[in-house]
Amino acid sequence: MKQRTRVCTDVGGTFTDLVYFETDAGGQQTVRTAKADTTPPNYEEGILEVLRRGAVDIENIGFFAHGTTVVINSLTERRGAKTGLITTEGFRDVIEIARGARPDFYNLKFRKPAPFVPRYLRKELPERVDARGEVLKEPDLTNLPAILDVFKAEGVEAIAVSFLHAYANPLHEQQVVDAISSLWPEVSVVGSHQITREWREYERTNTAVMSAFVQPVAARYLSRLEQKLRSQDYSGPIYVMQSNCGVDTLAHAKETPITMVESGPASGMWGAAALGQLVGESNVIALDIGGTTAKCSLIEDGKVQIKTDYYIERDRTSPGYPIMVPVVDLVEIGNGGGSIAWVDEFERLHVGPQSAGASPGPAAYGRGGRKATTTDANLMLGRINPQYFCGGTMEADMRAVEAALQELTQQLDLPAVEIAKGIIQIADSNMVNALKLVSINRGFDPRDFTLIAFGGGGGMHAVSLAQELGVKKVIIPKAAGVFSAWGMMMSDLRRDQFLTKLLMLKDADAVVQAQTLLNELVDKSRTEYISEGIRETDIRIVSSIKLRYQNQEHAVEVELQDGELLTDSANVIGERFHEQYERQYTYRLDAPIELVGFHVVAFARVGTLEILREECTASDASSAQKGTRNVNYAASGIHRAHIYDSTKLKPGMSFNGPAIIEDPGTTIVVFPANTVSVDGYGNICITDLQLGDSHA
Amino acid sequence: MRDTSAFTSNIIENSLQAVAAEMFDAMRLTAMSPIIYEVLDLGTGILNAKGEMASSGAGIPVLVGVVDKAVRRLVEIYDKPGDIEPGDVFITNDPAYGGVTHLNDIVIAMPVFADGTLVAWTANSAHWNDVGGMVVGSMAINATEIYQEGLRLPAVKLVSRGQVLRSVVDIIKANSRMPDFAEGDMWAGVAAVRSGEKRLSELIRKYGREAFEHALDQSMNHAEDVSLRALKRLPKGRFEFEEPQDDGSVYRVAIEVRDDEMIVDLRDNPDSANGPGNICRDATEIAAQMVFKSITDSASPANGGTFRPLTILTRPGTIFDAQSPAAVGFYFERLVRVHDLVLRCIARHCPELVCAGTFSSNCVTFIGGTRPSDGHAFTLVEPELGGWGATHEHDGNHAVFSPIHGDTFNCPVEIAETRYGVYVDKLTLNPEPGGEGTFRGGRGVVLEYRVREDGASMTCGFSRSVIPPWGLEGGRDGTPNRVELVRGDGTTTRHAFESDIRMHKDDVARIITGNGAGYGDPRQRDREAILRDLRDDLLTPERAASVYGIQV
Repeated sequence: MKQRTRVCTDVGGTFTDLVYFETDAGGQQTVRTAKADTTPPNYEEGILEVLRRGAVDIENIGFFAHGTTVVINSLTERRGAKTGLITTEGFRDVIEIARGARPDFYNLKFRKPAPFVPRYLRKELPERVDARGEVLKEPDLTNLPAILDVFKAEGVEAIAVSFLHAYANPLHEQQVVDAISSLWPEVSVVGSHQITREWREYERTNTAVMSAFVQPVAARYLSRLEQKLRSQDYSGPIYVMQSNCGVDTLAHAKETPITMVESGPASGMWGAAALGQLVGESNVIALDIGGTTAKCSLIEDGKVQIKTDYYIERDRTSPGYPIMVPVVDLVEIGNGGGSIAWVDEFERLHVGPQSAGASPGPAAYGRGGRKATTTDANLMLGRINPQYFCGGTMEADMRAVEAALQELTQQLDLPAVEIAKGIIQIADSNMVNALKLVSINRGFDPRDFTLIAFGGGGGMHAVSLAQELGVKKVIIPKAAGVFSAWGMMMSDLRRDQFLTKLLMLKDADAVVQAQTLLNELVDKSRTEYISEGIRETDIRIVSSIKLRYQNQEHAVEVELQDGELLTDSANVIGERFHEQYERQYTYRLDAPIELVGFHVVAFARVGTLEILREECTASDASSAQKGTRNVNYAASGIHRAHIYDSTKLKPGMSFNGPAIIEDPGTTIVVFPANTVSVDGYGNICITDLQLGDSHA
Repeated sequence: MRDTSAFTSNIIENSLQAVAAEMFDAMRLTAMSPIIYEVLDLGTGILNAKGEMASSGAGIPVLVGVVDKAVRRLVEIYDKPGDIEPGDVFITNDPAYGGVTHLNDIVIAMPVFADGTLVAWTANSAHWNDVGGMVVGSMAINATEIYQEGLRLPAVKLVSRGQVLRSVVDIIKANSRMPDFAEGDMWAGVAAVRSGEKRLSELIRKYGREAFEHALDQSMNHAEDVSLRALKRLPKGRFEFEEPQDDGSVYRVAIEVRDDEMIVDLRDNPDSANGPGNICRDATEIAAQMVFKSITDSASPANGGTFRPLTILTRPGTIFDAQSPAAVGFYFERLVRVHDLVLRCIARHCPELVCAGTFSSNCVTFIGGTRPSDGHAFTLVEPELGGWGATHEHDGNHAVFSPIHGDTFNCPVEIAETRYGVYVDKLTLNPEPGGEGTFRGGRGVVLEYRVREDGASMTCGFSRSVIPPWGLEGGRDGTPNRVELVRGDGTTTRHAFESDIRMHKDDVARIITGNGAGYGDPRQRDREAILRDLRDDLLTPERAASVYGIQV
């Protein structure tokens, strides 16, 4: 019984979501979802509440996974531990100097982001390692007790240690971390090498600092969550969603919670990849449209791209802060359902990035929001049903919608309907450009991909965006409204290790050295899992090496096939590099190949979840139809659309656009000439897309 | 069926911006020269038929202003019917032929046609590693004529009606020390303008030629409106300024601000010199445009319309309007000087729109030698970070690139030590006093490169090494840029603009970049801020007493 029940909870900015999945003895599957308010700062209260609302029998859960915004909130609200930093002598200012970039380049009043550790809490110790990891100067810890005294006096709660070239040789960092732990056992301390083994001292130091900053807050939170669940007699494992599209054990997540920084978006993107696998679509563009932002990511051949060049607070005016942890590669823009439409002093209409959020929310909520949002425009155009607003939980305040649009009609001297169309068109054009960033701009042809759209606003814009991009098929998942929690349910344990190491591939000794290093990384991953009680047969390790042409900077990750050795197959791997390089960068060189690092991914299965496919017996969808109404498709004109109730759609049903599908969590806009079919998992698939037929 | 709304122009403009960014990404991805894809020494643009910029993408703002001048020159040269045909691609790099900066910056441009009529251009500009000339990398510190700086491409056709002109490609390759890189970067540029042309043609098909051209016009007219509105808020009058330079010469500028126009007069300046630090008129124009954009509306994108209200006056043959065959390889240090001159002149009249004087130099450092790990030769070429001036609301930024740089990144210590035969012994904020004010300037850096083998050499191009960054509204001046060469025996010499200084094993080149200047009377500085600087070791108690009048 226990193994058959999976529970996933996702703490978002506004709501805490639940997905509950049970397979009974007869193989019958039940899925329940629930929502509760997020309850900062005691997020665990919201989790317990959503478990109550979902009528979850905690004692009988077999798998509990959890995603949370606690880390990203701690960073963006600057609510973390008072942090001290210890660096190599001569380099304490590296986190303040940063990289010197100034993206807002005409602005002479540009302000560089302030470091998370002020100068008086940045201390130095004599020590030095060179680029090859060889020791130039042994660490001198004479001053360490005095430094710790200063930190204690200043109320420091967490310490980051970051030394030059610690990615190549972490010994000095380890020594200092150990010394601090013995001198001051209560303090939270982290060495940069514990988070990342990649080069670039600013990025690695900043990563260590941010990790130290969030560590006590996040660890306390995870402990409280664990206690609460245990006090309710939950005895199974607790998994925590990571930014790399996998889950990790609670104990491991507590050590370096910084890796949870993008857990919510990552689980959504993983959900899209997993759903793609389930329905046989391995090339997917995943699009998540929420209240404030839209995020998108590209999945090729079923694989999510995991990178370590992640930033927070980076935009066209700020270089932001780098965090060198494995994060799913995605593009985010400030356009969502709550994005506010506004007119600048030159009478030009804009949408976002300001959002009405959950409070006051769009004007239609009737909670005092006076500014028109994308959602209000969708109501005005008949795309959202005012009587079935937010899944029928509230009636849209259409007078407030009209009043909000009225404000803009006065500024622009255009009728409200024209303004509403403009809002949708501009929001769509912003989103299309983001989708192009992840696809066309990276050398992919959208025609080879299926668009999987989720989040509250995904269904509203998906078809229009797909037709603009030339995508052939759109899928709106059955669990679109709680898709992050759904993605978590489909996750395995996943740990990514990145290591920078420069070696020439043509040099036989170097190849042997590379193979030895790689073996060490692989063994380390395996041993770690086994020491945690995971069965060897559940472990799968995928190794890639990062290669480049000598003296070039562009590197390509080449995946090694199962059992493939660098020592045996250097030439074959080299050829694969040339091919991959050429595909990505359009040319190949007759130059020596250099290895710049490793990327080792260790997966461990945590129980297979097989979602059953229902027979597609139904065909006629008229029983799900609930009427017709005029829907304004902006640039594609006004059409009389059939309205469908998603809860009555059955696998196998099929119908044509123009149509609107109303779901408790989302509204799906289907254009004329589209064909809609419901697959065996209850997902809504839209085909016969018309290239170029879009809102704009 | 399609219903173009009042917002179609907005959407096309949005798409133009996306296409410019897409061309930028495409080039960054496919370019072979690391300076293009790492330093982002690269710009892209979409222009109307006349060569006015409608939309741009860039890593360095200077290069935004290059492609429009290049296309304007092309349109001037190719003025006969049939000169410019669909599928053509042009290439230029010579300041006399719209190349603006130096021969390494190659501009590639492609016309866009609709119904047989030229309606737009797509173009890019990127720094190639080597285009021939006296020295590797083509930038020779002792060049006196452009002929010594490499291959001149005088706005020639590279592709004719879709057919690559092999002869031109052969000439380019034969003139580079790195022919594969030259060809690779050339194809990256051609592929980018072609993809841009394709995307614009799709837009034209979707919305029609008229709506497309209207959107181009509207985006430029809008930018012009933004500038005009901001001009109205600027103080009016004629402002004159002269500034002595490190070498003792004096530069002069007069700026006249009217309700609908700004005129920058740089005619009264010395004659151009023999060395490679000259700039042509187009480059001077870019520097003035950057200042203009900064004081009008720095947040909105810049395009051709932005600069319609701006007029630049220069006198041919002077340092800001060098004539062929003047050498221009090191144009960038003169560019930062004219930028600072114009900024300093206007700053006193609208201090709240700008920051006080920055370190204002590229501080380009070259160190060449042998790498001990494999005996290979290396050349380190880095612009350095420095201190920025304070504003009327905030302290200045520590350690940022010069105002003529933008979204580019410095070289990490860990990568520098791997790539070059140097150790970096130190990288800290510049501790010396200076730049105090109600708001204080940001700190420059102290960066020590120690060479690991004998037989190394250093070249440096630092200006503002005598005349410090300028304080504003009573703020103190900042501190000068320089290099201190510390020999093994401890002797130290000071340098700023010099080439080929010999260095031996364990000699240290200590780069010291200036602290930015202060804004407002130091005596008005907030006590908390003074205590914070003391706590952070950015101020000594003695200095706090003497400059801020605070006893601690």
